[in-house]
Amino acid sequence: MHTVNADGNMPLLWVLRDILGLKGTKFGCGVAQCGACTVHLNGKAVRSCVTDVGVAALAEVTTIEGLSYDGSHPCQKAWMDLGVPQCGFCQPGQIMSAAALLKANPHPDDTAIDNAMRGNICRCGTYPRIRKAIHQAAGDPTS
Amino acid sequence: MSILFKVTRRDFLRDLGVGTGALVFGCSLGPELFASDKLRQLITTGIPLQGFISIKPLSGHITIFAHRSEMGQGIKSSLAAVLADELEADWGRVTVRQADADSVNFGVPAPYPIPGAPAVVRGEDAQFTDSSRSMAAYYMPMRLFGAAVRLVMTRAAAMKWSVPESELEARDQQIWHQRTGRSIQYHHLLLEANKVKVPETDEIKAVLKKPEQFRYIGKENIPFVDAKDMVTGKAVYGADVDRPGMLIAMIVRCPVANGTLKSFDATAALAVPGVRFVEAVIPDGFAAGTGGVGANFVPHAGVAVIADNTWAAWQGRRALLKNVQWDLGPNATYDSDDYRAELEASTSRPGKMVRRRGNVDEALGGAAKVVEAGYHIPHLAQAPMEPPAAIAVYEGGKWEIWSPTQGPELAQHYIGLAMLEPNPVKWLVWGATEPSELRDCERDTQKVFNESLARLLGVDQTALFKMRDDLKKLVRDKITVHVTLLGGGFGRKSNPDYAMEAAFLARNHPGVPIRVQWTREDDIKFSFYNAVSRQYFKAGLDASGHPTSLLHRSAFSSFFATLFPPAPDIFAKARAAFHNGGEYLYGSAIERAQGLEDNPYGTIDNLRVENSPAPNHIRCGWMRSVANIYHAFGLCSFADEMAVAAGRDSKDYLLELIGQGHMYTEADLKREDVPCYDNNLFPINRKMESIGGKEKEIMPGYPPDTRRLRAVAERVARESGWDAKKGKLPKGRGLGIAAHRSFLSYVAMVIDVSLNDKNELTINEIHAALDCGRVINPDRARAQMEGGIIYGLSLALLGEITVKNGAVVQNNFDDYPVLRMHQTPKIFTYFQEPSAEVVRTYPGEEVAVTGTGEPPTPAVAPALANAIVAAGGPRIREIPFYRKVVVL
Repeated sequence: MHTVNADGNMPLLWVLRDILGLKGTKFGCGVAQCGACTVHLNGKAVRSCVTDVGVAALAEVTTIEGLSYDGSHPCQKAWMDLGVPQCGFCQPGQIMSAAALLKANPHPDDTAIDNAMRGNICRCGTYPRIRKAIHQAAGDPTS
Repeated sequence: MSILFKVTRRDFLRDLGVGTGALVFGCSLGPELFASDKLRQLITTGIPLQGFISIKPLSGHITIFAHRSEMGQGIKSSLAAVLADELEADWGRVTVRQADADSVNFGVPAPYPIPGAPAVVRGEDAQFTDSSRSMAAYYMPMRLFGAAVRLVMTRAAAMKWSVPESELEARDQQIWHQRTGRSIQYHHLLLEANKVKVPETDEIKAVLKKPEQFRYIGKENIPFVDAKDMVTGKAVYGADVDRPGMLIAMIVRCPVANGTLKSFDATAALAVPGVRFVEAVIPDGFAAGTGGVGANFVPHAGVAVIADNTWAAWQGRRALLKNVQWDLGPNATYDSDDYRAELEASTSRPGKMVRRRGNVDEALGGAAKVVEAGYHIPHLAQAPMEPPAAIAVYEGGKWEIWSPTQGPELAQHYIGLAMLEPNPVKWLVWGATEPSELRDCERDTQKVFNESLARLLGVDQTALFKMRDDLKKLVRDKITVHVTLLGGGFGRKSNPDYAMEAAFLARNHPGVPIRVQWTREDDIKFSFYNAVSRQYFKAGLDASGHPTSLLHRSAFSSFFATLFPPAPDIFAKARAAFHNGGEYLYGSAIERAQGLEDNPYGTIDNLRVENSPAPNHIRCGWMRSVANIYHAFGLCSFADEMAVAAGRDSKDYLLELIGQGHMYTEADLKREDVPCYDNNLFPINRKMESIGGKEKEIMPGYPPDTRRLRAVAERVARESGWDAKKGKLPKGRGLGIAAHRSFLSYVAMVIDVSLNDKNELTINEIHAALDCGRVINPDRARAQMEGGIIYGLSLALLGEITVKNGAVVQNNFDDYPVLRMHQTPKIFTYFQEPSAEVVRTYPGEEVAVTGTGEPPTPAVAPALANAIVAAGGPRIREIPFYRKVVVL
């Protein structure tokens, strides 16, 4: 539990980053276009850059730091195994979106993955490996 | 209000591992070894060993310092692995750390300088991570370095045990003596190592590993240094650096290049809770002006809102926005639509000749068929995922900077000049270079530059060089630049304007760390854009359809116009000579070398290549593959247009244009009047003089070799099943091919597309073959190919920056869209190492290692355009394609 003193309109992103020092959640666009700031709000993927912290009051927020204690979430393992990241900046957001997808749909096909992940931009172009890593994390064949 | 919420997390580690105190060097190899002049000559490149490695005397732990910036290309892992391989390091006891800007330790001159760049940049670029050249430049130095330390350790053990060196073997960070079964750790040999005579270069070369002995080089097992931190949120990028008491600045910038600040009213912004200060970024009286054309990396005029946290700064900036008055200046009339017409007019007239073979006019007159086309490529923004950010603190007359930067020394250098030297004429002494350090084709112009500058400052040449050295030392002493991970760079983060902003603001608040945070809108509106360009072609085909003549005219807003300050008139002559156009209306050698002068179609008997003039009204810079983007789009599309006009198969026609291929020689290029044959296009078996004036061959040459271009085209055609699919594809489906050499590597691509009756485009698959010599880190090389292709798809399908009234129109990813996952096709990549037959013809029978970061990008747009035509779609002659086909 954290008590923070902040303007209720402050986006959750800046509360996490500037006030709580949780810097794993990234700022990429500020207008819910890129997904770099994706966190889970009561288990669902949301863009923290456009989520007022007031909305998060008494809710359970999970950031990349909380997804696992040791990088052992199936997505994190698959991401490392397949060498998904390049610059890595968008990957916390990608992983949070993927983790939420797998929670809702444990065995997504390519179309389901595309639909769930289309809000997350990667400029390095890691999309093919992300897709593969989600299949692997789901325990499904990767091609 | 107080808000209670729960964050599930582990305890967050506050030690982010960046810039926390001095870098710890262990006892290393001992001061004598490091101080030795001999050591500086140890490696033919002149790179001293220090700075790259430390061995802790107690634990034996090895730290390898990554001097190149890590921005997703994996260089932090790859170069360390090369060094570790030759060193026989035990990876379990190796840490790789990002190095600070350090132009002394990391080697002057760089072994593969930015070719064609003026000396102001050269010699400062050992860390300048651009031009896909980290591996090309440092593969061999890292190997020699690793092998040198291994040899010293071996000799130290031989001394300690009094056994012959030949009986010893280095393995796992230890020296083993098989006969007696003894072994000793490297760090237990440090005392003896100090007594070992520094080996000669030839001795080191003699102990380099054979390829079959490589432990990491060329293998799939190279550890990915930051992968775990990246997937757990612990990796530290620019904005993640935390300093005690840090304030956050956001800036309202003048929307027009070279505009200046008239006035501002801070009242509304200061009323926002959390806002502490509102102040101009560039101080009054700053003689180097404001950011824009000819202003180098100087930031745009701006007013900063400095606050307790990012959101307060953001709110404050919003309140300030309407309360700033600018003098927009002459660039406020810049309109990208008008400019397009201007470029078309420019290429309708003869331009400056940059390459000539035969007589194009004569041949055109006798042609059976004439083909003509023009292509338009707009400004493009790099848009790395991480918007620019930089932290600066000013204390005791010194600045400490943390920044995601591709140019650590450039940042140090320009921040230093801006903060420490009020007379911008003196900035130019940085560019004074002893003629002995220059390549033949630059010597005369540099001499004019040196002499003009010395006259202007009223000093002689010797004093000029001393002034330069003093200034460099001052800058190095006062400015420290720590490099964080880069959340993408793509050329944007080569420009240290954002770090200069932080340095300016920090000076106003001694002791207070200030982070300048850019928004995505800032990033889109204040980039250093890829040049806008028009490409014009005219070819005459003979009766068989083969071109007997080709005219290529290229007009583009050269980045040189942005980079180089409008020097006093006295330099006009030097500039005119140096850059072939005093007003920077023409492209630099660097840009011309990227797909213009290096036309690979050797079977066209008559060739004329021209560069048409184009003025500049906005900041231009580098974007992944730079001038290759527009040159390859034009040339590789036009090759296909000629094939279509000739009624021929595109792939067969392309191979016919290239012919069997050959390795270009200096004589070839001189014969064809290429103005500066010895630039990054054509560093043929180049020799370079060292600082001591001794001539040394520093790198193998990189001759343009169209045999290798042909080989990648053949390979990708085979892999993609081009011939098998010919005539068998359903209506509405087609294949396109393009092949292009850039940054010394060769790439060919086949793209398979479908276009339905609603004109909706589906990219089915992309096949790409790359020849970059030996592949060092195959997994990262594949990743670079995948990423480079996706970057190319983004720009081809969606990329466009437009300008109205001097200001960029686009804002964010909604109106500057980039490729998303659902738009990404299947990608198949192939490494095409040069054939043994080719390798045999190279000096030393070795083909140099070259880059992978940029070369995959240029071929994408033309291969895609060609595929769309093959699928029955329109010939697309302008980027972005979404204006002509539907991109879902």
